[in-house]
Amino acid sequence: MTGCGRTTRRRFVGGVAGWLWLGIAAAPFAQTPALVTPDGWRQVDGESVLQFPRDHGSHPGYRIEWWYYTGNLSAAGGRRFGYQVTFFRIGVDPAPANPSRWAVRDLFMAHLALTDVARGRHLAAERLDRGAVGWAGARTGTLDVWNGDWRAELDGDTHRITAVDRAFGVDLRLEPGKGTVPHGERGVSRKGDQPGNASYYYSMTRMPTSGRVWLDGVPIEVSGASWMDHEFGTTFLEPGQVGWDWFSLQLDDGTDLMVFQIRRADGRPDTHSGGTWVDPDAQRSGLAGGQIVLEAGRRWTSDASGAVYPVAWRLAVADRQADLRIEAVVDAQELDTAASTGVTYWEGAVTVSGQIDGRTVAGRGYLEMTGYAGRPMSEVFR
Amino acid sequence: MAGLTLGVAVVIAIRLANTGSVRGFETALDVVAGKTSLEIVGAGVGVPESQLAGLGWLAAYGRVSPVIDRRARIRVPAGREYAVQVLGVDVLRDQPFREYRLVRFAREGQNPRPHELLALLLDAASVVLTERFAVRHDIDVDTAVQLVIGDRVHDSVVRGLLLDEGPARVVDGQLVLLDVATAQLLFDRLGWVDRVEIQLFDAEGIDEAEAAIAERLPDGLRVQRPAQRGRQVEKMLAAFHFNLTALSYIALMVGLFLVYNTIAVSVISRRAEIGMLRALGATRRVVLRLFLGEAAALAVAGAALGLPVGWLLARVAVRLTTTTVNTLYITSAAAVPPLSAAELALACAVSLPLALAAAAVPALEGAGVPPVAAVRGADRVSSGVRPPRRAAVTAAILFAAAGWFSTRDAVGGLPLYGLAAALAVVAGGAALAPVLLALFRRAGRPALARWFKVEGLLAHANLSAAVTRLAVSVAALVVSLAMLAAIAIMIGSFRATVSHWVGQTLRADLFVAAASRAPAGPAATISTATEQRIAAHPAVAAVDQFRTVDLPYGSDGDLIILGAGDFEVLLAHGGLLFKHPADGHAAMARAVGTEMVVVSESFALKHKVAVDDLVELETPRGPRAFQVAAVYYDYSSDRGLVVMDRPTFERHYGAHRPVGLTVYLDADADPDAVREELLAGLGSGQQLLIRTNATLRSEVLRIFDATFAVTYALEAIAIFVAIMGVAATLLTLVLERRHELGLMRLIGASRRQIRRMVVIEATVLGVLSQALGLVVGVALSMILIYVINVQSFGWTIQFRLPFGFLARSTVLIAVAAALSGLYPARIAGAIAVEDRR
Repeated sequence: MTGCGRTTRRRFVGGVAGWLWLGIAAAPFAQTPALVTPDGWRQVDGESVLQFPRDHGSHPGYRIEWWYYTGNLSAAGGRRFGYQVTFFRIGVDPAPANPSRWAVRDLFMAHLALTDVARGRHLAAERLDRGAVGWAGARTGTLDVWNGDWRAELDGDTHRITAVDRAFGVDLRLEPGKGTVPHGERGVSRKGDQPGNASYYYSMTRMPTSGRVWLDGVPIEVSGASWMDHEFGTTFLEPGQVGWDWFSLQLDDGTDLMVFQIRRADGRPDTHSGGTWVDPDAQRSGLAGGQIVLEAGRRWTSDASGAVYPVAWRLAVADRQADLRIEAVVDAQELDTAASTGVTYWEGAVTVSGQIDGRTVAGRGYLEMTGYAGRPMSEVFR
Repeated sequence: MAGLTLGVAVVIAIRLANTGSVRGFETALDVVAGKTSLEIVGAGVGVPESQLAGLGWLAAYGRVSPVIDRRARIRVPAGREYAVQVLGVDVLRDQPFREYRLVRFAREGQNPRPHELLALLLDAASVVLTERFAVRHDIDVDTAVQLVIGDRVHDSVVRGLLLDEGPARVVDGQLVLLDVATAQLLFDRLGWVDRVEIQLFDAEGIDEAEAAIAERLPDGLRVQRPAQRGRQVEKMLAAFHFNLTALSYIALMVGLFLVYNTIAVSVISRRAEIGMLRALGATRRVVLRLFLGEAAALAVAGAALGLPVGWLLARVAVRLTTTTVNTLYITSAAAVPPLSAAELALACAVSLPLALAAAAVPALEGAGVPPVAAVRGADRVSSGVRPPRRAAVTAAILFAAAGWFSTRDAVGGLPLYGLAAALAVVAGGAALAPVLLALFRRAGRPALARWFKVEGLLAHANLSAAVTRLAVSVAALVVSLAMLAAIAIMIGSFRATVSHWVGQTLRADLFVAAASRAPAGPAATISTATEQRIAAHPAVAAVDQFRTVDLPYGSDGDLIILGAGDFEVLLAHGGLLFKHPADGHAAMARAVGTEMVVVSESFALKHKVAVDDLVELETPRGPRAFQVAAVYYDYSSDRGLVVMDRPTFERHYGAHRPVGLTVYLDADADPDAVREELLAGLGSGQQLLIRTNATLRSEVLRIFDATFAVTYALEAIAIFVAIMGVAATLLTLVLERRHELGLMRLIGASRRQIRRMVVIEATVLGVLSQALGLVVGVALSMILIYVINVQSFGWTIQFRLPFGFLARSTVLIAVAAALSGLYPARIAGAIAVEDRR
């Protein structure tokens, strides 16, 4: 169930797809074998085994897919930056009847955000394209996904991330580091009781990163560590969920930690809360919801959306004797993606400090909070 | 004043009508262009998708949106069809360009997000219409409508309504928004878009961006500003509008003659008062001011009345010219723009100084009246506007000038010298008016005496006595009639030429076009299914497909028409009339499948191209040179046609669906029967127009006649004004002669005789004017045909006198003149014996 943290992404993604379906008559697809939806998308059956670099590539048979890069970077003088580059592929119609190249099979979206910690700035940009004439797309067989001139591709084992909006962006090289960490069972993250309600989901939790960030049109050499997520599937809808809080933390003792909680309409955490603990030697172990305690601390109110986000958290993992304080490096790291996914959410760099098993630890990470602004999830997410 | 009112009205009307048709297009262009700063267009056929992938770098300059911009018709539930502009866009990219606000979302105070708009349009059956159109035709969301495109009918459902603002206002709300994928499918544009629009991030840096993008674009693509298309259209219409404007000024000229006339009559009839004023100490200057003041008052009143009348006329003219413009050039919802300060300024600027200038001569004469002699009545009316001899010399000089002007070339594509020549001929004709009257005074007496006895003699005497005063009115009438004759000769010759050309050129038995075919712009295409069904008919011997695209040509980017047809079929069945070389048929045979083209006469003339020259045409792969194999006669468009063999066209421009088919039947087949069979086979829902040879010929001539309807309308106005002038002059003469007429009654003249005399005078004036008008008209028509026409349109017109029309018009003028004499005659007849002043 580790993939559930990514339900967040599913939410904006699902929102878009949901709206799209309003306007589309279901394609007259025969319901062949068990795990194909009536409109022709494959469902996750657990038969496949993730292989790389093949599975870094696109899986156009599935409806929803995303590549998520976040990271904390520092310039030579110690100036800190956080970045987020996300590529989405949302299937609309697996076999459009119109032979036009503009007929929409998939929608490609991308989000870019850069946090300039010293100046307390958070810059964001987004893109949305139907990928008709190669202006956006994702290759199969290897990592190569792009939206305009934003791109993530493989150069040997290195991930090259280029996403520069007009005056800001990133141009980075990410080494594999600990390699790929599959979530759930061999990378199949079950989301519900129905067969097929699952996703393929893996992460690369600590990728040594170097390159440049662009700020006000000026390049700045940086280095640091990134976190990559790649998830694809077709159906994993969860009713009654309002939003969720997701943490990816990289501690200086070499431990990586992914934790999420889903918030329900009545305010209680959803049973699907959980996470993954990755040791310095890349050994992974799942965390069940019951092992995790998350307490929201200080709150920040967004002028733009009026949403109130907890920007400080306390995280306790009982089994590991871990007690961590998590704090946003900048309060204002909200993204309004009206022009692409249409969801307002908070995604930003955080610092971590606290104790694990009696040892003092510190670290950096990323925090994602959704469902604090806009329509309730049950409306958006179909 | 009536004359001036009409003159001003006509000038204003034509101006409004002209701007109306261009502005209609430009407004449409503006609102559709939205916030587009630059656009990328391809060589005639659009931008191939294969080149789009390589244009990703454009994103560095701004937002980029591909657009399909077409015309179609929409069939509303009530069953009626309306022309619509169809915009096929990728709403994900396009929203920043045009802000689509939907009624449903606006009610909730929101704008649709791009993906919400996409969701509405994604299905190929989805259309978004405008609120304005929907309200008018009782349409709402989920109403079923049909799009008629080419020969196809496409069932659609209205998925949204655009608020009445921005692009929704184009063409009075007749806009259909489609997804670009749907538009490609429906308009046979798979693989192509019509243009790619760019919204620069830095709108200030448009010049640099345009230059930089132009530098980097691959061959076959051009970057331009949206207004460029407006300019191309404006240029296309320039010659047409210029000629209409020139005609309108002739109406004004006639009006000015009448001002001259009015002031002259006023001066003559008030000689005694002038003498009195002078005797009482008024200076010449005061007298001059009085008459100029009168002219100015006339001008202002004429302009003031002319403006609203002009606006009303413009509405009529726009209805007429819109048909013409649409037939010949573009589809646009021409609307008469409201009267603005510009028109007011024009009306005053035109009428006031010209009226003052026209009044200056008689006013000066009035100022020169010697006081004592005038009071006594001993002073005689001055010997004339111009003594006949001097007038004859003036006329000779003007005719010589006209001859010289006729040899000059066009200036900037406009026949300025040609118009100067026309003006000189008209002025020369006017100058001959007193000469004509003098000749009549000398030689007309026996004829009138023979035909009309006493009344004729009296009429001759009266007219002879009033030569100077009549000269001006007659001159005005001569000018109008000369114009009428010239235009009639020109149009008659043109019509005969076109008729002959149609007979020689239209050889096919059936002509197939889409019923919803847009008159110009990207033409509607014919589907493969239709083509196959027609070709399969047993009586069909050969089918030629015809494609046309608008292509900018030369350094000025004039839009020419590039056509593609099957040369072998044309050679075997068709009948192009070749101008050069002598054996055009053989020359065209050499062009089959090669890099050679045949060009129309107007293309050759306008762009100074001769046989064997190379013409450079834009193609999707950059400019290519084609050798001119032959020049042929064509009257279908003044824009100039370049025609290439179909394989050559496809090699350079790709495969595109044809816009028309010409069908050749077996010799023994009956075209009408085959037409019926084809239409029946295509089913009741078909949207095909199949014309037989005979109906197409009459259609061509119908369009021709509609084109010149405006010309005749303007002419009718000018003649009406001129005849009114004659009537007014006669009336003043009658009033002046009250004393004399009273005496006549006293010595036994009956009322009837008096009336008869005045009507004879009027008729004589009409006939004399027509005689001179015909002579001047023939000269003028030659200038129109051989100079102005060639310079504006580039057509060969065979000179031909329409005897029937000229004879009929002569009778008509005589009758009209006689009728115009009735009112003065009645006044004259009513003068009692004792009414002696």
